[in-house]
Amino acid sequence: MEPFRDDNELIAELLALRPSPSPTFAATLDERAAAGFPRRSPFPPQRFAPLVAKLRALPPRRIAFSAAAAALVSVAFVTAVVIAGGSGTETGPGPRGNTRGSGVLGDFQPIEGAKPPAAKSEADAGTASAESGRETLFEGEAPAIPDELPTKPSAANASHRDVERSASIVLGAEPGDVSADAARVSEAVHANGGIVLRSSISDGSAGHPGASFQLLIPSTRLDDAMASFAQIDEVRLRNEGSLDITAPTVSLGERLKESEARIEALLGQLAAAETEAEREVVEAELRGERRHHAALRSRLTTLQRRAHFSHVSLRIESRAGSTTPGGWGLDNALHDAGHVLSVAAGVVLIGLAVLAPLALLALIAWLARRIWLRQARDRALG
Amino acid sequence: MEQALVAEREAAPRDADLLFERLYRSSRDDVYAYVAGLLRDPAAAEEVTATAFERAYRKRSRFDPRRGEPRAWLFGIARNAALDELRRRGRQAELSAEPADVAAPQEESGERRLILTAALATLAPRERELIALKYFAGLGNAEIAEVIGVSESNAGTRLHRAVTKLREACDGAV
Repeated sequence: MEPFRDDNELIAELLALRPSPSPTFAATLDERAAAGFPRRSPFPPQRFAPLVAKLRALPPRRIAFSAAAAALVSVAFVTAVVIAGGSGTETGPGPRGNTRGSGVLGDFQPIEGAKPPAAKSEADAGTASAESGRETLFEGEAPAIPDELPTKPSAANASHRDVERSASIVLGAEPGDVSADAARVSEAVHANGGIVLRSSISDGSAGHPGASFQLLIPSTRLDDAMASFAQIDEVRLRNEGSLDITAPTVSLGERLKESEARIEALLGQLAAAETEAEREVVEAELRGERRHHAALRSRLTTLQRRAHFSHVSLRIESRAGSTTPGGWGLDNALHDAGHVLSVAAGVVLIGLAVLAPLALLALIAWLARRIWLRQARDRALG
Repeated sequence: MEQALVAEREAAPRDADLLFERLYRSSRDDVYAYVAGLLRDPAAAEEVTATAFERAYRKRSRFDPRRGEPRAWLFGIARNAALDELRRRGRQAELSAEPADVAAPQEESGERRLILTAALATLAPRERELIALKYFAGLGNAEIAEVIGVSESNAGTRLHRAVTKLREACDGAV
């Protein structure tokens, strides 16, 4: 046999060697092509096989849209659950109506009723607590009644009770009525013999019109004054509180009398002193006792003034931006929308924090498998 | 307007189907010839050819014409399927089996084909793959380069070496 004369002869023989599919196979393949190449599986058809086949046939863009929609629904659902779970905000100015509270300030009792009674037994401590208690009362919150109130027999048996009262009231007014309402508040204060300690009025087209007052009203006229305020405009919130300060008042009075007696005694000692040295010692004690007496009197005066005058906090809020009489308006809506968006962003952030590492691992695994498969296929060729 | 959009949406998959159908009709025998030339096993070649078309059909919507020719894309899938088959077997394609359509060596040309078949068996699988892609499947050098992932000139050089080696093997057998 002769060898191939050139490459063309070799190639011609190669072309003649070209394998061809059998007619049976070609016909079968044509049928499968016409049927859209249904999957061949050595296992019996599974229950969800049609669904899986349908999903596999979906174009990637549609799968991406579906995944994005599912993610959006998940974020919305989790956000709703989180907000409904208690991390929501108050959307209104608070419940309307009146709140009243009262308390008794016993000897050596801290002002906050929720706290357990202190173990102090000095009158000064009790008085100081009573004085500091004013800050709480003047916030407009009704004081809670203490669980246990140790009271001196002298205070418990006192025929006259010294009660400190305080109140706060919030009025709702139309933006244009704020100034007029503020003027009527001043009139009511003066009519009831009260004093305006501090006032602030915001008016004009920019911002939110409103006014706030810190008032001193004679305690005997407090109810009349509050009634006058309530007639000025809509009452949105009203709080009243009272605190019995009889015990510290009686205690201070007794200590004041003791101090006076001590001063009288020291004056007697001073008169009887024979030497200069004795006189100097007594005079020093006398100066100290007089300072103590002055301090006690000052505290007693303060306590008595608290009993005679009530602090009232009054605020006028405009209804600007409100869409409902309840006060929930555009501002609240914007605030709530911001809250919802921040919660949604948090949910997305947490979701990403969980999913991103998993996605990264999946990507690394996919890339590693791809590289390994490529190398394995390359090795298959030798 | 909406009907037009729906029609447009439906036209996209129809285009992919039409393109695939054309590709199938023009390449069915070529794919089989390439796979059979590589695997040298008609039964396995039928299985791998069917698998290749099945995979290509599933991925038809993902084919991007900007990234290459449809035939090169199809032969890339067929090549992967064939190499997977080789891996599964755990052995390289052997020339133990005769091509199904090789005529019996009753004359000189038949004897030459036997020598050529034996010479093909002596080639490295990579070289035999090049021969199969070029002369059994009828791919151009550019398409071969795209399938095996080398430059066109590199593919041409490799092919030339494979043919030269095949001729030397045939000459040695004579």
